[in-house]
Amino acid sequence: MHEMALMESLVDVLAKEAKKHNIQQVKKVKLIVGQLSHALPDALQFAFSVLRQYPPFSSEAELEIEERETRGRCQSCSAEFAVEDNYLFICPQCGGLAVDIVQGRELQIDYFEGD
Amino acid sequence: MMQIKLGHNLLGTNQTVAEENREKLRQKGVYFLNLMSSPGAGKTTLLEKTLALVKDRLKVAVIEGDVATTKDAERVARHGIPVVQINTHGACHLDAAMVRDVLDTFPLEQLDLLIVENVGNLVCPAEFDLGETVKVVVLSTTEGNDKVPKYPLMFREAGAMILNKIDLLPFTDFNLEELAVDLEGLHPGLPRFDLSARTGEGMEQWLDWLVAQVRSEKQ
Repeated sequence: MHEMALMESLVDVLAKEAKKHNIQQVKKVKLIVGQLSHALPDALQFAFSVLRQYPPFSSEAELEIEERETRGRCQSCSAEFAVEDNYLFICPQCGGLAVDIVQGRELQIDYFEGD
Repeated sequence: MMQIKLGHNLLGTNQTVAEENREKLRQKGVYFLNLMSSPGAGKTTLLEKTLALVKDRLKVAVIEGDVATTKDAERVARHGIPVVQINTHGACHLDAAMVRDVLDTFPLEQLDLLIVENVGNLVCPAEFDLGETVKVVVLSTTEGNDKVPKYPLMFREAGAMILNKIDLLPFTDFNLEELAVDLEGLHPGLPRFDLSARTGEGMEQWLDWLVAQVRSEKQ
């Protein structure tokens, strides 16, 4: 539901960065989206299809999304593992419950292309 | 064609403002509570009961977040508490800038506790840091215990959880054992208060916890 707000902040960042690097038209953006963020790729694509009608984008600009699964690291034994069903933060090696999130919260602009 | 590597977080701007809010309130000694739940879980009723019971012990103010209307702010204002309503006009969550813009309408120097009632939604508010000291999530028995695995980020981020409407437990299929197992996997040690804001059952433990948190922040 917050995909539009996220994409608006993408536009803000890209407008600044494009200007800084003297890029007139942005033709491609790559986003990294973690599974815990609950940002839906389809909804992000939809928002992008609206926003690319305006500068700094070319109207044919492409959005690539790399999804990343949720991963945790056990505080007791340091094992790193995929978090089962996106919510079971239980270490498969030692059963530890104190688990840090090491991946899955990303909402990150990896790079953009343009000329 | 040129490629520019960035690595910017899309929530970076919000995060910066949230840190400013957090620092400002910390300096003034104000404990900032971000209250979140799905629509209809009983946030406003819980808030009203909480205010009625703590207003003699703590100086409290409230920010009401809603998509539209001032109904909740009117309910809170009846308790003689300073309240500001933010209408998001369609947005499904509050963000840090909305909070920043209303902070100075409160007598911050005199406050112990600022409570923000977020827009009813278990997804988006979990992502948007407001600069709060703690996030408290309210789940109600009528929603079902499956909300915990369905909205993991909210329950992982929360610093405390309230299970509301326990007076209705016998009329629902809510499974307390499953809830305990899911929470153990997702957020072990999460302080949890089972209560009914409507009947008042269980309110005392929640209020004692809250007052202790606020007082420890003051020191």
